[in-house]
Amino acid sequence: MPAETHVEQNPIGRDEIVALVKDRLAEILEIEPTGIKEGDAFAEDLDADSLALIELVEGIEEELAERSVGFRIEDEDLEDLRTVRDAVDYVVAKLG
Amino acid sequence: MLPIAVDAMGGDHAPGEIVAGARRAAEELGVPVVLVGRSAELGDTGALPVIEASEVIAMDAEPGSSVRRMKDSSLVRAAEAVRDGQASAMVSAGNTGATMASALLRMGRIKGINRPAIATPIPVPGSTPTTLLDAGANAECKPDWLVEFARMGAVYARDRFGIQRPRVGLLSIGEEAGKGSPFVKECFAALSDPAWAAASDSEWIGNVEGRDVMTDEVDVIVTDGFTGNVTLKTLEGAMRALIGRLLVAIDTDDDTRAAGAALAPALDTMVAELHPDSVGGALLLGVKGVCVISHGSSSADAMVNAIRVAAEMVEVNMVDHLTAAAID
Repeated sequence: MPAETHVEQNPIGRDEIVALVKDRLAEILEIEPTGIKEGDAFAEDLDADSLALIELVEGIEEELAERSVGFRIEDEDLEDLRTVRDAVDYVVAKLG
Repeated sequence: MLPIAVDAMGGDHAPGEIVAGARRAAEELGVPVVLVGRSAELGDTGALPVIEASEVIAMDAEPGSSVRRMKDSSLVRAAEAVRDGQASAMVSAGNTGATMASALLRMGRIKGINRPAIATPIPVPGSTPTTLLDAGANAECKPDWLVEFARMGAVYARDRFGIQRPRVGLLSIGEEAGKGSPFVKECFAALSDPAWAAASDSEWIGNVEGRDVMTDEVDVIVTDGFTGNVTLKTLEGAMRALIGRLLVAIDTDDDTRAAGAALAPALDTMVAELHPDSVGGALLLGVKGVCVISHGSSSADAMVNAIRVAAEMVEVNMVDHLTAAAID
């Protein structure tokens, strides 16, 4: 790929993904990111409904699109993402 | 003004009635309009520009997943046109849930608003309409959300109907403060905090009942989306039944038909006042753009009114007022 169209990106670490997920979630739910724990369940602990989850997923995809071409969270996988940790682990696995 | 983006593919009578209404709005009202949809299916669009969109979200499609999967749908493209500064507002008679999801996910939510709400004007004979929200966006709500609905409803009542100090009530099963479900009582307590009414220059009048909706006793009624939607549909059905029965009664015999002919001008005015097409659609309040949700069965007349309302809300800077009210 020509140098002027390709920029080497540093791999994204798990901590960075945790921060991304928490920041986006905090923005959507209008709460402090420091108040979100990895073990928090979206529905039971954070009162995040399905629409909030879609907002989160869209936000993560938008954020990671430039750093990982074609990054996408599959709709059929959404129902398995019940906690913040689930979402983080999913993204880590998808990024390989 | 930037053009109003009209989802040409949404609604029971799309694209024919939608395009016809959009053309009339542009010609008769002088409002700039851009159609969004499959240009090959729109027929004669006159001089109206078209934003191409190859997909259509069906009326019965699941909203959230549809918006995610169909990124080239007319609804999503219309919302993106507003987000990207190509359009000043969007209007759709399509899938209500998908319209909301498109607006929320593409335009974004106003800071300070947890959940956008659908605000529907309910006609009040001889007076300004009552604004009912939420009319169906959020089946289950939290008490704090209703305080946000109250703020937004007050802005809308002022911007749309010129009511300077809107009277805001909570829909309940009795006027007394202790009436209602546990949820409604929590809402009452939250709404009784004077801060929001003072900040939005409105008047909190406490509980109101279903029979107050079509009276001049209240200007804005807040409730959860489930109750609001049931209220709205009940009123629509009741009015349809009443008008239908009235027409049958008028058609009883020659005397009643003659009386009906004499009453016709007055009755026409009444029907026009109460007909859903004349309302101009519902507004989705709480997103960073004007979004008008028109009835799924919208005719060309309904679309003209919906586009007119969209343009009016753009001109009065309704979104700026909502933004200011949300963080006040």
